[in-house]
Amino acid sequence: MKKEYWNKPALGLRERLYLLEVIRGLCITGGVFLGNMWKWLTFRKGALTAYYPEEIRSDYSPANRGRHVLTRRENGGVQCVSCNMCATVCPAYAIEILSAADFDDPCHPKSPERFEIDYSRCIFCGFCVEACPEDAIRMVKEVPDFPGFDRDAMWAGRDLLMNWRPTGDPAKQYPAASPSPVEVQP
Amino acid sequence: MIELKIDNQTVEANEGETVLQAALRSGIEIPHFCYHPCLSVAGNCRICLVKVDGRPKLVPSCNLPVAPGMTVETDTEDVRAARRAVMQFITLNHPGDCGICDKAGECRLQDYHVRYGEEESHSREPKHHRPKFSDLSPRIVLDNERCLLCSRCVRFTREVSGSHQLGIVERGSHARVERLEGRPFDDPYSDNVIGLCPTGALLSRDFLYKSRVWYLEPVRSVCTGCARCCSVNVWRRQREWHVRALGAELNRAAYRVTPFENPAINGPWLCNKGFDLHRRMARKRALTPLIGGREATAEEAVQEAKRLFAAAGNPAVLAFAPASNEELAAFRDGLGRRVQVYTREDYHTEPGEVAEDDFLIRGDKNPASYSIRALFGNRPYAPAARHDLVVIWGERVDYHALGGAKLIHLASFEPAGETAADLLIPVSTTFERSGTFTNFEGKVNRFEKVFDKPAQVLHAGDLFGRLVP
Ligand code: SF4
Ligand code: SF4
Ligand code: SF4
Ligand code: SF4
Ligand code: FES
Repeated sequence: MKKEYWNKPALGLRERLYLLEVIRGLCITGGVFLGNMWKWLTFRKGALTAYYPEEIRSDYSPANRGRHVLTRRENGGVQCVSCNMCATVCPAYAIEILSAADFDDPCHPKSPERFEIDYSRCIFCGFCVEACPEDAIRMVKEVPDFPGFDRDAMWAGRDLLMNWRPTGDPAKQYPAASPSPVEVQP
Repeated sequence: MIELKIDNQTVEANEGETVLQAALRSGIEIPHFCYHPCLSVAGNCRICLVKVDGRPKLVPSCNLPVAPGMTVETDTEDVRAARRAVMQFITLNHPGDCGICDKAGECRLQDYHVRYGEEESHSREPKHHRPKFSDLSPRIVLDNERCLLCSRCVRFTREVSGSHQLGIVERGSHARVERLEGRPFDDPYSDNVIGLCPTGALLSRDFLYKSRVWYLEPVRSVCTGCARCCSVNVWRRQREWHVRALGAELNRAAYRVTPFENPAINGPWLCNKGFDLHRRMARKRALTPLIGGREATAEEAVQEAKRLFAAAGNPAVLAFAPASNEELAAFRDGLGRRVQVYTREDYHTEPGEVAEDDFLIRGDKNPASYSIRALFGNRPYAPAARHDLVVIWGERVDYHALGGAKLIHLASFEPAGETAADLLIPVSTTFERSGTFTNFEGKVNRFEKVFDKPAQVLHAGDLFGRLVP
């Protein structure tokens, strides 16, 4: 039996003639192209395209979850207790943690010696943030920004994750971080 | 045979059994912390309470002998309420730090808390703190806060290992497990208490924070530490938890060794040497074939061995300690009939090691000596026989004692001496193949492959047929 779809288009005569509609579509695309071309020739920025990776767009939605941040304790040390809940829940197997023991600090005897997130695998689901019992990992709207020719270059390590500075999350104080890459208004 | 009813199910029990044993044997789950089948009944944790018809109060089932016609219920509302209350008491001062506890995932307390406990503590008092992370011994970390005073570890040192080195001191919420009279906990079976402890109070120093247990899987193997040939579980990373950024060597690492329960040979126990099996296997391996000290491929090495054999007039073989029965059979059929075979004991009691006791540890530290003796007798090397080619299949051989013959060394680990053999062929360890050992009592024990062998390493069993033309 032929399947009926709920959004089956109602085609009038024009649409069924086909060629006319195709030409109309080409006119729209061509118009945009020529308009952009004109701006380009007159030294203005054309389409809303950021020239990644030289430029990074800044107008991500505040709800976007793009990049992980490892929060810190008051003494500047990592908040994470290396419980591996995030790595366990991660559906993409993107997190790898190597733990270290320090029994001289009874409040923080276990901590991550290495904490690696593979951004070539992460699907940005945010499960790791939900699973964390320590509020040690958060996601912010910026994107990881790892252009590369090799997926091995798309790992973010502990120090990088600790120093990424979120822009819109006032709930917890983050220490000042290394300067972030240039943001370009499109 | 005594018949009784547990949860409307007719159960047959033997004279002298307890209700808990009868229930567990017929698949009825009654929670228990302090009861252990190999230890005496302590009856102190009270999580095993059940309702017995005709008795006004709930009774601990681990301490209740079966009687004919008894009717027991394990899952009524008042039993569940009692369990919830017992869990409240047991976790009253528990730190609840499962997130950083190595036991989490295989912890009885955690499982029961989820199954039988309540979400929140009823107590409004601050938790009472006890010493955390002290060294019970160089091998074991003790966290008194997580201890629920079941006394399994104490009973183990009294009833199984007999060292009497642990005890519980003080009372009430100050009570804690400690070494008695400040003596060291140097029991040669001490590591068993780690698995015995129903919570994370006793943890292995070696495994500490190496991995969460749910990333790992056990593979049945055999300890090659002595002629007892105990069954062990070797824990490796599961396939889907293989790491990439942290280094591929972790995917080939044996994380820990625990006993594999084998009633015929070792029961549920191991000695500390067994718990260290993975450390002994992590010694520096022989990985590349060497022809006169020059690196070669496995194929070249086999050709060279053939050439040496063809040239030799009077070859001999020194037989190896951790050779499985299958390898020894392959050796006997492939090579053993054409050469003079000598036997040898590669391993002896190390300084500081227990030589022998009447529990598990055997004086003979070679796992295959029973099979080697059965096949080839006991024949130490005789330099007077003037062999011009000697194949050493084993470890710790002094090349000079072999009287200047040409040497082919089949080794799993890097040979110690400074002189090189004429030909070194790396062979697989017991972790890299499956097979069987026969222990000193003639009991056969099986081991499975844990890891694939490295590329240039050969299985000794495959080699012998190819050496002679
Ligand atoms: S966002 Fe999702 S996929 Fe990415 S690391 Fe976290 S849990 Fe894994
Ligand atoms: S869940 Fe949180 S505390 Fe646990 S390892 Fe992940 S980031 Fe660290
Ligand atoms: S002993 Fe068990 S319940 Fe206690 S912290 Fe460890 S895993 Fe959790
Ligand atoms: S340390 Fe473990 S085995 Fe020993 S009494 Fe405490 S809970 Fe029981
Ligand atoms: S198991 Fe019965 S009281 Fe502990």
